[in-house]
Amino acid sequence: MKKLIALVGLAGAACAAVAAPDNVPLDGRALFEEKCAMCHRDMGMGTGLLQRRMDANIARLENRTDLTSEFVVMAARIGIGNMPRIPRGEASDAELRAIGDYLADSATRAP
Amino acid sequence: MKLSLPPGVSAAAMSAAFTDFASVVGAQWVLATDEDRQTYTDHFALDESRHAPAGAVVPSSVDEVREVVRIANKHRIPLWPISRGKNFGYGGAAPRLKGSVVLDLSRMKKIEVDVENGTVLVEPGVGFYDLHDYLRKNNIPLWISVPGNSWGSVAGNALDRGVGYTSYGDHTSKVCGLEVVLPDGDLVRTGMGAMDGAPTWQLYRYGFGPAWDQMFVQSNFGVVTKLGLWLMPEPESVYAIDMELDKPEDLGWMVDVLAEFRRDGTLQQAPSIGNWLRAAAVLTKRSDWYDKPGLLPDSVINAIRQRFGIGWWSASLRLYGYRDVNRAYADVITKRISAAGKVEIKTKEWERGTPVPPDPFMGYPITFPLQNANWYGGRAAHVGFSPVLPPRGDLAMEQFRRTHAIYTRYGFDYHASFAMGERHLTNVNQVLFDKDSPEMVKQANAMFIELVDDATRHRYGEYRTHLDYMDLVASTYDFNDHALRRLNEKVKAALDPNGIIAPGKNGIWSPGYEGERA
Ligand SMILES: Cc1cc2nc3c(=O)[nH]c(=O)nc-3n(C[C@H](O)[C@H](O)[C@H](O)COP(=O)(O)OP(=O)(O)OC[C@H]3O[C@@H](n4cnc5c(N)ncnc54)[C@H](O)[C@@H]3O)c2cc1C
Ligand code: HEC
Repeated sequence: MKKLIALVGLAGAACAAVAAPDNVPLDGRALFEEKCAMCHRDMGMGTGLLQRRMDANIARLENRTDLTSEFVVMAARIGIGNMPRIPRGEASDAELRAIGDYLADSATRAP
Repeated sequence: MKLSLPPGVSAAAMSAAFTDFASVVGAQWVLATDEDRQTYTDHFALDESRHAPAGAVVPSSVDEVREVVRIANKHRIPLWPISRGKNFGYGGAAPRLKGSVVLDLSRMKKIEVDVENGTVLVEPGVGFYDLHDYLRKNNIPLWISVPGNSWGSVAGNALDRGVGYTSYGDHTSKVCGLEVVLPDGDLVRTGMGAMDGAPTWQLYRYGFGPAWDQMFVQSNFGVVTKLGLWLMPEPESVYAIDMELDKPEDLGWMVDVLAEFRRDGTLQQAPSIGNWLRAAAVLTKRSDWYDKPGLLPDSVINAIRQRFGIGWWSASLRLYGYRDVNRAYADVITKRISAAGKVEIKTKEWERGTPVPPDPFMGYPITFPLQNANWYGGRAAHVGFSPVLPPRGDLAMEQFRRTHAIYTRYGFDYHASFAMGERHLTNVNQVLFDKDSPEMVKQANAMFIELVDDATRHRYGEYRTHLDYMDLVASTYDFNDHALRRLNEKVKAALDPNGIIAPGKNGIWSPGYEGERA
């Protein structure tokens, strides 16, 4: 037992953002990485299916320049095609909006 | 989606319960709008309305879970606990009993790793991605085992006896110690965890007296709030043996050879022998190949195999451990297999110190297998049919032939794999269908029932099933006029007299729900 190293932590890059008090803005990018990137970056289900109906180089949501925050929120909450709906237990309205803002703001988003 | 109520619960009682839940978890974590209910239905279901929830409550701590359970008892509200609720093919987040309240544990995300001993204690909300990223970020040389849909949770998957790719892939067998909220709100820790502060909770499974871990797996006897799991120490090397088999008949001898290696321990991982549709359904749509209904002709199957360079069956073996030992084992395995039949074998090695590729066989979580939902175009989906067989080639071949004939008769594309356990063979079949075609949904349901019936005639039971078929499958476990059901329901009645936790889960019901058994 002498060398037992117990690491205790909260999962995901975005936990600091999630736990932020009301006056600190949510980090849309970190939230996207925690809740969407598994499907919407390389090898993900979202990227794979979106490239069946759009150009491969814009199949990653982060490469899009035409997304609005409202559309992103609606797609995630109501579900679109084969994308399963994201419940509020997993991403609150405020969190989804922050992700939507991040995806809508292609100008400041690093590719 | 409108409010559904469970039997015997009035709208007023439900509303009072929601108010009480809100006083514990905060109003924003009681989710009961039409939209909320829709988000907790089963996206992949044949008929989403059959398992419509009344809403969801999302606690953030074990104390809140206990309070929620007490309130549910007071108002007689059935709860359906989920970890992350991504149980696609088996029901997603949706409850077995319409009108249940989903107890969504996905906000509970604590991870405690014991690096030296190679164990982790997770809360239910910890996803495979969360745990993977946590280990990598902290440079912890431990690997996880992930399922083909890694969007779900480490705990929920193990609690439904999920399986993964590595030699730690029989997830429920790696569970060591649980913390559980019982249906009356009491809190228990299993195994060594029963001794307060014991440093061996995640190290020795049994504790003293009866060991209860498996009692909370595929059951409705409690709500698991912490789950201990053993992790694989990063191996010195991984040796890959990927095999392509040309003919349907090759399944038989391959099963016999692999069964022997599993029995004698040469092979620690449970390889799965899958047919050509596994790759095709993930990477393409049916209409890319064929624009008519009915069966895919052999010419199309050949074209698919050619494009992906795959056999009628494919199987991937992996050896984890010291390089020299792996090589010696690989030599024995490949020689024996090559002597047993015609097979194309490709091997490769990974060594510690080189980058770990994004490969599920090395614990890298994936979601792309979910793309097979799109096989029939539109909003497609699937249910899983998974009987357990003895690990014998002739029996596997018979099972394959009968199942294939049933798929053919109903006009579904055959999608199957045979996963080699230590002493058994699990035949996992995915029934892919187009959700938006009522005719196909009807046929999928009829075929499923026939598949269960066929397996039962051979005395093969399923290891896991979708909400729609829990009662059907439970009824096939029929020794001594369903003695197991009587036992399960006696335990249920003793622990959960009000029938609060997951009524109907795995065919286990409580008094008061007599009419609900399908
Ligand atoms: C294409 C595809 C591939 C798949 N591949 C695999 C695979 O390789 N291996 C595999 O195992 N599965 C596979 N699945 C099935 C499923 O998606 C996964 O098993 C997934 O991990 C389950 O979701 P989850 O982890 O969120 O579990 P959950 O949905 O959270 O839990 C599953 C069930 O366990 C019970 N439960 C969960 N948490 C608790 C708790 N805390 N207390 C009490 N009871 C609880 C509940 O009844 C719940 O319904 C696949 C599905 C698809 C569509
Ligand atoms: C399990 C995988 C998965 C996850 C996780 C996921 N998505 Fe998706 N998403 C998909 C799939 C698949 C599609 C394509 C649906 C289709 O066309 O059938 C999609 C499509 C979308 C679209 C529509 C794009 C378009 O132009 O039509 C948006 C917007 C979107 N997702 C946002 C999100 C957000 C935001 C998140 C995280 C909160 C998220 N998704 C998480 C799988 C996923």
